[in-house]
Amino acid sequence: MKKKVLLMGASGSGKTSMRSLIFSNNPASLTSRLGATIDVEQNHVRFLGDLILNLWDCGGQDSFMDSYLSTQRSTIFQHVGVMIYVFEVESRDMPKDLTYYRDCLDALRKYSSDASVFLLVHKMDLVKGDKGTQLERKRRDLQAESGDVEVTVFGTSIYDESLYKAWSRIVHTIIPNAAVLTKHLTTFAEACSATEVILFERTTFLVIATSSPPAPPASSQRALANGAATPGSSSTVVTAPTSPVEDVHKLNATRYERTSELIKALKHSCSRVREEFYALEMELPEFTAVLDEMTKNTYVLIVVHDPTIETAALKINIRTARQKFEELQNDSISA
Amino acid sequence: MQHSNGTKSPTIDVQRTKILLLGQRRSGKTSIQQVLFNDVSPKQTFYLEPTTRIVKDTYDTVIPLEIWDCPGNVTLDTLGASLSDFSSIIFVIDIQDSYQQPVARMLDFFIAAYQESPDICLEVLVHKAEAFTDDYKIENFRHIQQRVIDELLDISQDYEQMPLNFHLTSVYDHSIHEAFSRVLHKLIDSLPYLEDLLNVFCANSQSSKAFLFDVKSRLYVATDASPVDTGTHNLCCDYVKTLNAFGPLYKSSSSSAARLLRDSRSSSPSSGPSFYPSAAVTLAPSTQGTTLTYHSITPQLALLALMHTAVFEEQRGLLEYNVVFFREGVQEISQVEKDARMGSLVV
Ligand SMILES: Nc1nc2c(ncn2[C@@H]2O[C@H](COP(=O)(O)OP(=O)(O)OP(=O)(O)O)[C@@H](O)[C@H]2O)c(=O)[nH]1
Ligand SMILES: Nc1nc2c(ncn2[C@@H]2O[C@H](COP(=O)(O)OP(=O)(O)O)[C@@H](O)[C@H]2O)c(=O)[nH]1
Ligand SMILES: [Mg+2]
Repeated sequence: MKKKVLLMGASGSGKTSMRSLIFSNNPASLTSRLGATIDVEQNHVRFLGDLILNLWDCGGQDSFMDSYLSTQRSTIFQHVGVMIYVFEVESRDMPKDLTYYRDCLDALRKYSSDASVFLLVHKMDLVKGDKGTQLERKRRDLQAESGDVEVTVFGTSIYDESLYKAWSRIVHTIIPNAAVLTKHLTTFAEACSATEVILFERTTFLVIATSSPPAPPASSQRALANGAATPGSSSTVVTAPTSPVEDVHKLNATRYERTSELIKALKHSCSRVREEFYALEMELPEFTAVLDEMTKNTYVLIVVHDPTIETAALKINIRTARQKFEELQNDSISA
Repeated sequence: MQHSNGTKSPTIDVQRTKILLLGQRRSGKTSIQQVLFNDVSPKQTFYLEPTTRIVKDTYDTVIPLEIWDCPGNVTLDTLGASLSDFSSIIFVIDIQDSYQQPVARMLDFFIAAYQESPDICLEVLVHKAEAFTDDYKIENFRHIQQRVIDELLDISQDYEQMPLNFHLTSVYDHSIHEAFSRVLHKLIDSLPYLEDLLNVFCANSQSSKAFLFDVKSRLYVATDASPVDTGTHNLCCDYVKTLNAFGPLYKSSSSSAARLLRDSRSSSPSSGPSFYPSAAVTLAPSTQGTTLTYHSITPQLALLALMHTAVFEEQRGLLEYNVVFFREGVQEISQVEKDARMGSLVV
């Protein structure tokens, strides 16, 4: 199964940069060397089993945009699963950005009426002053511009974990039957006496599913400071079944995206000495955890607070569960 | 930005090893000090305010340090201390700046220091090196080095013996960590004993490389006798950073405290390490690959060791035993250091 994902926005807004961070494991510092994208660059990324993400990085210079909206209109906008539109938070020419955006939205409505739309307010690291307020204002403006099309807005930057948060939410929406995965992860967590189990896609380390429902929309200081989570931002994308479990652990609200970012950075360090990151086990003062391969396309992180559980036991549990999850993944995709 | 102390001085003060940080305005002195000892990220150094007075910061690792960060225009008279009070003088030169003035000032300080105490460590950091390509970087580095030595000998041939050390550094990569580690090594009297312990550990655990890291600053205070490969060093630095960052992410407000309680009570549980943290990252899927282990040694120090994954998996018990032995050795050495310093205060 293929899902077409459009990545659009003005030239220089940061589309190719985020693609190279998320999908190619390049560090943020190297993105300044990227040239403008000519026309469309297509990428195929195999996600779970048979699920292939077909990413269209659409160069944003005016001449390309004009051609997407005219001669290439049907090619670009048909069979789209997700459109991600990137706005620079301090755009040089917002009125022009918005004109193109509205035209793209019209085309999308005509050719792929059930595509979901995500808007990224990007380069949030450049905002001086209150990022939360600035993002809220942008969110309101963009929602107004979108008319009756339902959109989800995220504030992002390649220099912190906010990018992983946004992209994790985006891929989550295209995984069929994510709820089934969640259910099995919850069972697996119980079997391991784990506080939490998280499933990541192998190359991008984006979060595919977690055992417990994500913490209620964060009002945590840190999330706000990054312009990432703001009350209401996740209302349209929460897919995990929301059973009202009392949260006794009160884990950090940004832990998923921070974990993606940390592991990607460690993977990168390994690759610099021509080694390949494979697995990690930790017994820290705060918790015990094992990060290991689950299936061909996924990694699992098991977090345990019970001090009597040892990493060796967790590793055996992963080995036992592998087969089951491999089957499940294939089922959930062909379903 | 405030220059707060990285580590608060303990109530009873000990005799600290003093390091003097010198260099022209905006050469990067405060950035270096803040990145290494105060958890400031390299990008944040952009917002540091100019240093207008001498700032003394303390930091506790194997030995207690006191680092003096000076404004660019400090002179021997305004320093307010004798150069012989310092064990090490570090002069930072911006590789992108003109060299003439800084080199002249640096030599004034170095000559004065050398005359007072010929054993003093004199370190030159050629800084902000990441901005240049590798070739150009090295060329500039050699050029500065040659120039310093030429000028020194022009002043007097007597200075031929002056022990100058040059390092190429940047806060944007691990070069500052590696260079500062080497600066630190010369100040640790017990270094040979630590190195011996590491050599023994490597031999007994079939480890190809081991470092004793200061966890917070990510400087290594000692390593075994095999050569340091920069790539391996950088990976260890990143690994320590990763582990430092992980703890708070999954800290539980209800359960984490209970773990610590157990940790302090348990002398030795059935198996597994009795000290947190410990960790291992496996490189490459097969047992042919390498594993990088991490073991807490003291609250400040951790042992990092590289070994074959097969050895790690099959001889875990032996490894843990060797770590316990190593830990006792390091703790003993630390205690001797501590006693010596407390003792010297009394007199
Ligand atoms: N400060 C900051 N700069 C960013 C961020 N993301 C990308 N950039 C920079 O923005 C510049 C342009 O990025 P690209 O990814 O090439 O932009 P693009 O959207 O692909 O442009 P076209 O291909 O012409 O459409 C690069 O110099 C990046 O380093 C960010 O989050 N913060
Ligand atoms: N490119 C680069 N800039 C650096 C480096 N270290 C420090 N800087 C910058 O140099 C400027 C001056 O640094 P500062 O520490 O205040 O200098 P001081 O006056 O010597 O204390 C700041 O803008 C830092 O961000 C480095 O390794 N590379
Ligand atoms: Mg591009």
